[in-house]
Amino acid sequence: MNRREALKTIWLAIVAAGASSFLSFEDLLAADANPDKRINLVWLHASSCSGCSCSFLNIEDVSVLDILTKFANLIFHPDLSLATGDQVTEILDKVSASGMPYLFVLEGGIPTAMPHACLMADQPITYWVEKLGSKAIASVGIGTCAVFGGVTNMKGMETGSIPLDAFYARKGITQAVINLPNCPLKPEHLVYTLLHYAYKGSFPSTDSKGRPLKFFDRTVHEHCIFYADFQEKHYARYIGDAGCLLKLGCQGPLTRNDCLIIGHNGNTNICIRAGHPCIGCASEHFPRRVMFHIASDPQGVSEDS
Amino acid sequence: MEARRVVVDPMTRIEGHLRFETRMEDGIVVDSKCSGDMYRGIEKALIGYDARTAQQITQRVCGVCPYAHADAAARALESAMGLQINENGRLLRNLTVGAYHLYDYLLHFYALCALDFIDVTAITSYQGRDAGMLQLKDWIGQELNSGKVFPASPFLPRYQAAYSDDRELNLTVIQNYLGALPMMSTLHKMVAIFGAKAPHPVAIEAGGVTTMPTIERLARYRQWLGQAGQFIRNNFQNDVLGVAKAFPGYFKEGRGYGNLLSYPWLIDRNGKDHSFTGGATINGQYAALDIGKITEDHTYAYYTAKPDKTIKPLQLNNLHPLGYEEYLSEKKKEGGKYTWTRAPRYGNEIMEVGPVARVVNTYFAKSNPALTQRVDKYNNALGLTIHDYNSVMGRHLSRLVSALVTLEKLEEQLEQVVPEESGFIERSLPRNASGVGLTEATRGALAHWIETDDKGLIKNYEMIVPTTWNMSPRDASGRPGAVEKMLIGTRVADADNPMELARIIRSTDPCMACSVH
Ligand code: SF4
Ligand code: SF4
Repeated sequence: MNRREALKTIWLAIVAAGASSFLSFEDLLAADANPDKRINLVWLHASSCSGCSCSFLNIEDVSVLDILTKFANLIFHPDLSLATGDQVTEILDKVSASGMPYLFVLEGGIPTAMPHACLMADQPITYWVEKLGSKAIASVGIGTCAVFGGVTNMKGMETGSIPLDAFYARKGITQAVINLPNCPLKPEHLVYTLLHYAYKGSFPSTDSKGRPLKFFDRTVHEHCIFYADFQEKHYARYIGDAGCLLKLGCQGPLTRNDCLIIGHNGNTNICIRAGHPCIGCASEHFPRRVMFHIASDPQGVSEDS
Repeated sequence: MEARRVVVDPMTRIEGHLRFETRMEDGIVVDSKCSGDMYRGIEKALIGYDARTAQQITQRVCGVCPYAHADAAARALESAMGLQINENGRLLRNLTVGAYHLYDYLLHFYALCALDFIDVTAITSYQGRDAGMLQLKDWIGQELNSGKVFPASPFLPRYQAAYSDDRELNLTVIQNYLGALPMMSTLHKMVAIFGAKAPHPVAIEAGGVTTMPTIERLARYRQWLGQAGQFIRNNFQNDVLGVAKAFPGYFKEGRGYGNLLSYPWLIDRNGKDHSFTGGATINGQYAALDIGKITEDHTYAYYTAKPDKTIKPLQLNNLHPLGYEEYLSEKKKEGGKYTWTRAPRYGNEIMEVGPVARVVNTYFAKSNPALTQRVDKYNNALGLTIHDYNSVMGRHLSRLVSALVTLEKLEEQLEQVVPEESGFIERSLPRNASGVGLTEATRGALAHWIETDDKGLIKNYEMIVPTTWNMSPRDASGRPGAVEKMLIGTRVADADNPMELARIIRSTDPCMACSVH
């Protein structure tokens, strides 16, 4: 297989990922010939579960190898980098001092009331986020924790965890932040966003919460396979019953996401197709005190929202 | 005598935030401390939430082993309900969490550990025609000549150490490193078929699994299981054995206390037997499991508590995380608290959990002939005894044994699912009830305890997770935790590149976000 043919398979993947609107085959050829065009990435874990990182590795449209070798320089990633211990702090110090352009990717919430609740190299994560975030050309908040707080600031938490953009606002950091909520992140959302940045020098257009309109302009409910049932008021009363899942606590109407267009894991499945109400994992209210209930336990869906 | 303090922070290619510190004398570790450096406080936050949310929230404790928390939480609630799930429910859950186990073994071996043994720069001598390998070779070549500040990241920089010098082995493992990534995403798709998505499968609930096992879903699972089976039986098996043969000394390194705890896992369709029998092996003696023996100590963990240091599961409300000032003063104290991880004990013993515990306990219990045969076969081929499993390489080998035994079980159980029949039984929330759910995550024994109030809301919740056992700090008696003990006595060739210690730590597959939650 020659280089042009190899690139053709990547090109097909880019078309499938919906990124061909801003990236031509010629751009791809040029990028392959010019390593300097690749976008630098620095990825950190704040208070996170690493689920977003694991989800990123599932990307299929464009393989992880292609991303690493054709589009991006992954300067640091806590789960993939061979660098260990002091080598990591050296890289991070160097990168923030170097003046080189890079995107800062953050997974997880930032505990501000308890700075000792998340440390790296014996420094609170707030130190690292400020240091690396302020020098980045732009930042990407991935997963519901980094975007809305998610489980890290669910009601009852004591750590005072806040999302990336709120942290920047507090610190007076003004650069662009794009938000990709979902718990975990959908890898397609990130790859599309990165390709867009690499080729247009800007993020795709977003709503008022910094979420790309392409993925978050509609609620889960608006695309739902049970939308017709909803209109006809055919509600499921228990799991396995036919009909709209609203009365079982479905959060679809409150959750902006493209789950019923591209689900998870290469669109293998998604909550609602699995017979389970949407628990609103991409929403600003996640996780709620009641996310799912059955007809014999009518606790109500209203709660705080 | 030359004494030296070696600190590794952050420890990468594990889950979460881990710092460890050792004191060396003449190149040998004489003391060590492991710190879990992240606290969220999910257990306490759960109080007042609907009991059904525990499944969804506790799996966010960890994105590497969320399935195990989903399983344990669902089981805890089922135990409070007094509910036995039906045949299909059992099978679908096994197919979901089983596929996740297989995913996790590949993730751990290839993405996290292999490049501590294998020389990734060997790719520059690759002569074959595999497109992915050529792409990597060209790229590494270009990068090394580029004069960039960070060439070939994330593969460089790395510790300078004695990597494998076997060119064939290096190239094969690198090729399989690349092949493992798409295979892992296939295994995650298998999880998603019945679990809805991976990570964080939503469809495992108290009562079973909500997804209907349609013929089409079963067929897709079968097709992907076939592909995964091929990769595991050929590539993964050969690579683990190849690395084991190239580094035989690691069957003697990282031994620790050798006390092993595991819970029963991978239930049969009759609901009685398990592929992996639970139990505890202490001082070489195997005994059946008694979860009443579990306590937690927090002498060295960043919590204050009244009245005493040792608590039983569900007594957690007594614990309060240290404030920033208290934390800073503990850090300054000689012998102060040093981690968020608590110290669970089993009848006061310090236990290692994980694949070795699963394999050795099952072997001693003589309950699974397929497992016994496999272990005997490897022992013959590699010149080992069951006592060598308590080691760095024993942990890698035990993951292979676990993977193969699990794979066979999934193949068998897939055919037992009754198509188009629900695997879910509906029950109302238990009021004023309590329950416990036990399972095995790939990295070891996991238990959840739940207590509900008169409305079915959570009154109390506790998780004791695999890495809490392994990364436990000292307890009131002052004895080092399981991994701390494994490091002590290790000879380190170059203290600036303490690869020996990194290999020991990574062999236990730490999951730090889990351990503190
Ligand atoms: S958003 Fe979800 S998957 Fe991502 S770090 Fe937070 S809990 Fe984990
Ligand atoms: S359907 Fe709802 S809960 Fe499921 S992934 Fe989409 S937003 Fe998250």
